[in-house]
Amino acid sequence: MIAGLQREIDAALAARARLRRRSVRETAAALAAASTRWRTDPELSSKLPEAAHLGPEMVRAILPIVASQLDAACLCELHAREASGTPPALVAHVLASNVPGLAVPAIALSCLAGAATVVKSGRADRLSAPAFHRALAAVDPDLAATVVTAYWPGGSTEVEDAILGRADVVVASGADASVAILARRLGARVVAQGARTSIAVAPGDAEHAVVAGLASDVALYEQRGCLSPHAVFVVGDAAGFAERLRTALDDVARALPPPLATTAERAVHRLAVEEARFGGATVLESTGGTVIVGAAGTEVGRRTVFVHPLRAPGELATRFAPATVECVGVAGVVVDADVLRRQGVARLCPIGAMQRPRIDWPRGQRPALGSLFRVPSEPRIQVEA
Amino acid sequence: MVSLEVELVAALRACAANESALDFEAWALRIFRHQFERNLPYRAYCERRGVTPATAVAWTDVPAVPTRAFRNADLACGPAEIVFRTSGTTGGPEARGRHLVPHLDLYRACALPAFERFVLPDGARLPCLFLLPPPSLRPDSSLVHMCAWVGEAFGTGVEWFAGPAGLDVERLSRRLGALEGTGDAVLLAGPTAGFVRLFDAGHAYRLGPGSRLMDTGGQKGLTRPVSRAGFLRACWTHLGIPTYYCVNEYGMTELCSQRYDSMLRDRFDGRSLDPRRLVAPPWLRTRVLDPDTLASVPAGEMGLLCHHDLANAGSVSVVLSEDLGRSVGDDGIEIVGRVPGAVPRGCGLLLADLAPS
Repeated sequence: MIAGLQREIDAALAARARLRRRSVRETAAALAAASTRWRTDPELSSKLPEAAHLGPEMVRAILPIVASQLDAACLCELHAREASGTPPALVAHVLASNVPGLAVPAIALSCLAGAATVVKSGRADRLSAPAFHRALAAVDPDLAATVVTAYWPGGSTEVEDAILGRADVVVASGADASVAILARRLGARVVAQGARTSIAVAPGDAEHAVVAGLASDVALYEQRGCLSPHAVFVVGDAAGFAERLRTALDDVARALPPPLATTAERAVHRLAVEEARFGGATVLESTGGTVIVGAAGTEVGRRTVFVHPLRAPGELATRFAPATVECVGVAGVVVDADVLRRQGVARLCPIGAMQRPRIDWPRGQRPALGSLFRVPSEPRIQVEA
Repeated sequence: MVSLEVELVAALRACAANESALDFEAWALRIFRHQFERNLPYRAYCERRGVTPATAVAWTDVPAVPTRAFRNADLACGPAEIVFRTSGTTGGPEARGRHLVPHLDLYRACALPAFERFVLPDGARLPCLFLLPPPSLRPDSSLVHMCAWVGEAFGTGVEWFAGPAGLDVERLSRRLGALEGTGDAVLLAGPTAGFVRLFDAGHAYRLGPGSRLMDTGGQKGLTRPVSRAGFLRACWTHLGIPTYYCVNEYGMTELCSQRYDSMLRDRFDGRSLDPRRLVAPPWLRTRVLDPDTLASVPAGEMGLLCHHDLANAGSVSVVLSEDLGRSVGDDGIEIVGRVPGAVPRGCGLLLADLAPS
């Protein structure tokens, strides 16, 4: 396996050398076209639900969202803004298993940087990367030749050292412990994208579209991604907001039914709910999800949201630990982006758009493309209107 | 007036001695009333769930509290005679569960007969070697407390082999070597992880016939994964103790009663072909619950384990554990594992600092 991958990487590096004079505009257009093909790949819609343990309706909803990130104009702007210095020859991506489709922006960013790419898929989504590779080969075989897709079980140190050790940059996403192990072994070349969560803030009397948008943000990806909200801070009538959120979660569940949960997943949820209930929290359970008011929040999954009353939007940054929250969804209140940036937040966006990040989202507060060029950067926050 | 606890101690003793049957349901409802009246956090929880002594008509109606509640509330029906604390929890001392026990007599009255029934069914009286710190070092450990009582009640001598620096493998090895020379039987007891450390030291002994061990804690604290079958093989190769003399104990700080591996008791009762399972004394019942509905699952299906321990009369009798398991036969359970951080997520960071306002 290692020898085969080494040969593929050699070929990808040679293909990259042949594309030296390729314009960014041409690359961006190819990536955008490939993403359009990718989202209709029949293998994805047929096999991804079972592989990723998601409902088929959810997969159908997610694929266009992922594909829409590769907007040609946005890719060109990103390159103009962040590409700087010598591009890396080889970028390796070690993808987390929790969220499907991570391979698409990963490959796109590497191609945009002008690098050859090796993408190691996560255990639960070994389909997206080969599917995007196929799509890219159909629209631009020369660019596709710079991409290698692979899978090996996490922790295969011999493979990791041999393959990842060749890369100039290794972007590793996943559980903190796994990412830390890679960083220890591979050193400063690793861009670690560890565990983070997301929250929302809204007024108690937020209009229906806001509550519905939050329910959608909660349901998409089954709360597995770092952009998934697990808590909402409510200025005003938190109890009323919670009731409306429960109803909205039920509405979303009709369009996006939750997948069957394992006994272990159901047990995690039940224990958290009963702990909250014991502590005096109000628990609103229904088929669409669970809303808990008045309990300290954890990530429980199964579309569970903790609702916390907030006296004023300015208090928000004091309610979570630094460097734990990736994205804050906002509606109907004004928050201080710079204060949130200093607290480690990487993205500020409207509620309802939390699961629709742009390609230039500065994940972990690092520049999306610039981090592949190892450009030093202040911690960033992206504010979306 | 005789307190409920004193009456219960007498009833448990009579039951253990086969002098009278225990009316589990009657005791369960009576204890629920007792706890509802005296344990205010539990009462508030029951009221929120809409269950009171007036509405509970069967033992299965009594509300269970999750074990995590023991971290956040003092769940006791009166002043605690002793406070047992869970160990090994990350997050500092405040994150450790605590079980306030108002009547230590009750704990003793349930722990000793069960230990004797399942670990010493032949009435053996043996020197006790505990792979544990002595009570003076861990006065808040329920396991250490129980072992001390076992030593007093059933041992011909007691030695403790763990200190502030952990298990003293060298001293234990020397002692086992000496015992091997005498051919005398011995009782070893302690955490599974302690035995694995001993095995990893590489020594091998042939302890005298009738030697036995009681291990507890399962995978917790192990530096490498060890299957049950692998553990039992190691008990034979390193200690010369056959499988049927290896008794696994399943206990929780939050419970006064314990379950034990059925193997030795079954052998003693002529039921050696029965499946290996964790069995309990009559005052501890366990239901396997569907996590969504908290209703019992069909026999043999996996679910959350919910223990109803009458000996917990001084705190809360019904505890929803963080263990997954299934029923085995008509009197046993099998532990399948701990409830994991089961949501398949890459961003699994707890929002520990988020607090309700």
